[in-house]
Amino acid sequence: MHNTIWSTIFSAGTFNQMFRSATPVALAALGGLMTEHAGIMNIGMDGMILMGAFVGAVASYFLASAFLGVLAAVLFGVLIGLFFALFTVKLKSDEFIIGCALNTFAMGVTAFLSREIFGLSGTSGYAVPSLPVVRIPLIRSIPFVGDILSGHSVFVYATWVLVLLMWLFVYRTPVGLWIRAAGESPETLRTAGKNPERMKWIASILCGVFCGLAGAHLSLGYLNGSFVEGMSASRGYIAFACVIFAAANPPKAYLAALMFGFFDALGLRLQNYISSDLTGTIPYLITIVMMVYVVVSAQKRRERLARQQLLKLE
Amino acid sequence: MKKRWIDLGYIVTLLISLAVALLIGAVILAVTGHDPLKAYGALLGGAFSNARHIGDMLEYAMVLCLCGLACDIGSRVGIFNVGGEGQLLLGAIFAAQIGVWMKGASPYLAIPCAALGAMAVGGFYAFIPGYLKVKQKVNEVITTIMLNTVAVFICQFLAKGPWKNANKNIVAGTENLPSGFWLTKLVPGSNLSTAIIAAAVMTFFVWYILQKTSKGYEMRLTGDNPRFAKYAGLKTDRIVLITMIVSGMMCGLVGMFRVYGAEHIYKSTVSNEYYFEGLMVAMIAQYQPVPTIIISLIFAVLKIGAMGMETAAGVPKQLYLIIQTVVIFCMAAETGIRAGIARAREKRAARQDVKERSKGGVEHA
Repeated sequence: MHNTIWSTIFSAGTFNQMFRSATPVALAALGGLMTEHAGIMNIGMDGMILMGAFVGAVASYFLASAFLGVLAAVLFGVLIGLFFALFTVKLKSDEFIIGCALNTFAMGVTAFLSREIFGLSGTSGYAVPSLPVVRIPLIRSIPFVGDILSGHSVFVYATWVLVLLMWLFVYRTPVGLWIRAAGESPETLRTAGKNPERMKWIASILCGVFCGLAGAHLSLGYLNGSFVEGMSASRGYIAFACVIFAAANPPKAYLAALMFGFFDALGLRLQNYISSDLTGTIPYLITIVMMVYVVVSAQKRRERLARQQLLKLE
Repeated sequence: MKKRWIDLGYIVTLLISLAVALLIGAVILAVTGHDPLKAYGALLGGAFSNARHIGDMLEYAMVLCLCGLACDIGSRVGIFNVGGEGQLLLGAIFAAQIGVWMKGASPYLAIPCAALGAMAVGGFYAFIPGYLKVKQKVNEVITTIMLNTVAVFICQFLAKGPWKNANKNIVAGTENLPSGFWLTKLVPGSNLSTAIIAAAVMTFFVWYILQKTSKGYEMRLTGDNPRFAKYAGLKTDRIVLITMIVSGMMCGLVGMFRVYGAEHIYKSTVSNEYYFEGLMVAMIAQYQPVPTIIISLIFAVLKIGAMGMETAAGVPKQLYLIIQTVVIFCMAAETGIRAGIARAREKRAARQDVKERSKGGVEHA
């Protein structure tokens, strides 16, 4: 009995599913960490993903090409990023209100239009061209590893590259530095002759693009070409949690997304032993615990520094 | 920034935003091949055509108003309770299960028990993020959002597992509430029950406490300027925590009202992100109690009307969500533009000032 549980948990299927589940979250988190670095609290990612999924599915449906669908979702992501920045940066609206409104707006507009386009059920069925599955030539024949790493939608692999690129972008390029400065110390950046508002616009657009990608992956890759109402299923919030969790560091955010993916996969696998509703709560609870840990440890660090300085003075 | 009783600028902004939202809704309708006038006619008909619809509309306004007020009181002390959805759901399922457990008891005992149970659960669920915020300074927006999802999962687990309805056709739901415990319907066939009287009393108390008592003033002080409030001798942490708990208790009670007044069973239909719609109402009302009441009524008309519109004119009811959020975007834009103009004017005045002073400086030199 115990043996079967452990072999179910640590089977190739679990890890395969882990990568599948983690990818949409990780993509959105890559966008979310840009706005986080720029000092914008972005809880509107869920809506951005949902609209990206819808635009991707519709474009793929009408243009009969999944890649054009992805392109459309990315272009739409630029628009939605501009829209978000218009309110949060230019008009200085409350980020929280705009994020909430964006989520609800996305829910309404995608449900409305998908019912208009795909009929009353609001789902597109499987009539939408989907993204190809990649079978990696050499790795696929390795017994355990091949089952885990091969046979995913292209986005799973693209995400690995994007994580690396984003890490380089954030920590190794001037623009990345400026964006981080725009969030941490906008006045310093202004003194250095760069406009922090412009950096926030860039971060917001990048966030839109990544959420558009996450959405396109959801409808065209993850679900093999179908749009379902409300299919973002609070992944935007999970992505937000991953960003907080990882202190907006891309590789760490990807690991956080993998953790979410693992528990998601675990819930599906362990359905026979324990309710998937209970395992489903784990990532959210861990996020709360992690947030407390992050805040408390930062507090401790500050206290230690202060004490050291006091000692120096003495 | 003292809010007067009637803020004309705000009312004008609200009306313009509503008009723009309806206009955008009309454009969307026209583009998707519907007749906007016919659709909006069906919408009004859906909300007011018969007593049943009016009853449903008032019940929904009650839900929006209480959720909005729960958000109002939180924002008054500077904490955002985004977790109302979870508190509402947990309150609903516990109230329903208490009713099932107390089958055969007097309704005069069971209903208060259920109400207290719902409030206790909702209050406790709000206490967690409130405590983390006060003691550890953990951002409550994120923790409450996480706890919402946790609550959805817990309710699903309970409704599918230990508390499941014996009827196989109900996949996830508690046992039916004994009919003796149902709150009396004010309009037969609608969702409107005597719960609205309790809701009205609660609404009055919230308004009274916020606007007319020293407690309300202390809350406002805590929200507007926590440091000053602390120096003035207020226990700000305690005020924030208690407010958060009360906010959660209100949400839990809304869940109980939904079960005992309308649904008579716990199912996922008890709330479909109703709290978030209440949150939108509170945002549009700028967290003021009286506008919250009025805007709840407006949006209840839109929502119930949109359901009628769907059946009568074949327009998806989600148009309602679009209109509601466009109102928010319009109001945010209007406020932003107005503030932008004010900033530009200030800047110009400051520049003028500097110019004049520098002239003066040259003369002195």
